[in-house]
Amino acid sequence: MLRAVSFDVFESEIVSLIGESGSGKTTMLRIIQGLIKADAGEISVGGAAIRGPGYDRGIVFQQANLLPWRTARSNIEFGLELKGVGPEERRTRADELLGLIGLTEFAHQYPHQLSGGMQQRVGVARALAIDPEILLMDEPFSALDAQTRELLQYELLRIHVQTRKTILFVTHDLDEAVYLSDRVIVMGTRPGHIKAVINVPFDRPRPTLTEMRGNAAFLELRDHIWQQIRPESQGVSR
Amino acid sequence: MNAAELEAAPIDAGDALARRKRRLTIIRVSSIIVAFGCWEIFGRQINPLFMSYPSKIVVGAITLMQDGVLQTALVESLRTLVLGYVGGALVGVTAGLLVGRYREVEAATDWLINALYATPLVALIPLVILWFGLGFQAKLFIVFLFTLFPVLINTSIGVKNVSRSLIDVAVAFVANERQIFSKIILPASLPYVMAGLRLGIGRAIIGMVTAEFFTAISGLGGLVVKYGNNFRTDEMLVPVLILMGLGVLLTGALQRAEQLIAPWKTNEHND
Repeated sequence: MLRAVSFDVFESEIVSLIGESGSGKTTMLRIIQGLIKADAGEISVGGAAIRGPGYDRGIVFQQANLLPWRTARSNIEFGLELKGVGPEERRTRADELLGLIGLTEFAHQYPHQLSGGMQQRVGVARALAIDPEILLMDEPFSALDAQTRELLQYELLRIHVQTRKTILFVTHDLDEAVYLSDRVIVMGTRPGHIKAVINVPFDRPRPTLTEMRGNAAFLELRDHIWQQIRPESQGVSR
Repeated sequence: MNAAELEAAPIDAGDALARRKRRLTIIRVSSIIVAFGCWEIFGRQINPLFMSYPSKIVVGAITLMQDGVLQTALVESLRTLVLGYVGGALVGVTAGLLVGRYREVEAATDWLINALYATPLVALIPLVILWFGLGFQAKLFIVFLFTLFPVLINTSIGVKNVSRSLIDVAVAFVANERQIFSKIILPASLPYVMAGLRLGIGRAIIGMVTAEFFTAISGLGGLVVKYGNNFRTDEMLVPVLILMGLGVLLTGALQRAEQLIAPWKTNEHND
């Protein structure tokens, strides 16, 4: 499904993988997380080659995938619990993260009592709880409505400023990719491959996406990337 | 977003719902009163051999209790029921977890489980008698068998229905097999396990009465046979009604436990 894909993500950087469905961007992310085994190739985090899942990587899924029988706090504690961290430390860490995502008052709510946006925030906190080297995000906001998505994108940048986590972000939303990233990796299909790597030069902290859309340079860059994706899309529809 | 509006809507809906519920309760209670009233009135016209009526059954129950017959039978029955049910439930849940989780175990056993589940277990009672005799052990084994299958099958379905994405979460956070089992599969399949236990209790009561009919006659089932054979219909109906009550009570209790243990499941449907 993927062939000759190679790229680096640097510390504290946000890199987006973008491409149409079938370009293997989600597969890529799952391989990095260790949920799928690659037939060949090598992935390393901080110099150490990875074999299977590990606490150096934290993943946020497309659907929040919270455990429905656990409260928000307990969901955040999940990874720490598996890691064998004691209850007091878990609780402190979870409370910190609940503060970071602005859901302190919802600590005792169950997932079905939370909105989609809140659930996904808890998903982010759960991944951050294990203090990974890199945060892997698999189209985390794609199931949310437009306003909530924009709010969470902005929140993610705020969290990034506070935590300085390296983030690898899979998306099919071009605006989202450009808005969030330092670099955008454009992937093509059949087999999945890297078509282009594009630097996004905008200063941080960035304003909201709506404001960024009023910026000519943003639109120009967005258009430029669109050109990279487009030829293949047209080929498919013909 | 207008929070006040959002909050107002469900409260109105809740009010209407409460009103409708109250109306249905009134209908239900009146239906019970009318049914028992008719039974009392028309039951008296029928030959007492074929039917009895509520007040006479109550009198019969008091007589049986004064003699201590009813208490003895109830204790006997409950002992078989509780021990057989607990045994069947424990084995059923354990086996169900294994069958549901491991394809190999399933392949090795599903034909047998399906075959036995489809067999009317009453047909096996003569065999059980050959193995265990007519006493307590035979009854215990029959209740065990009756309980086992619904619990086992429900549990294994529950395990198989655990969403792949929840297991992925555990794997991504580096869970080992034991942790996947205890932290994902067990809680996720709990609602199914509880449903199996609830079905199992009904089956266990059937098993108990069947056993009391066909092995050494004893317990509540024994009373039904004994008074039936003696044409004492009013007294015969006492253990029948107690069995009915027992079934309703235990099933209801397990349903309640289901809501307490797996509140996220019931709430999902209410939202």
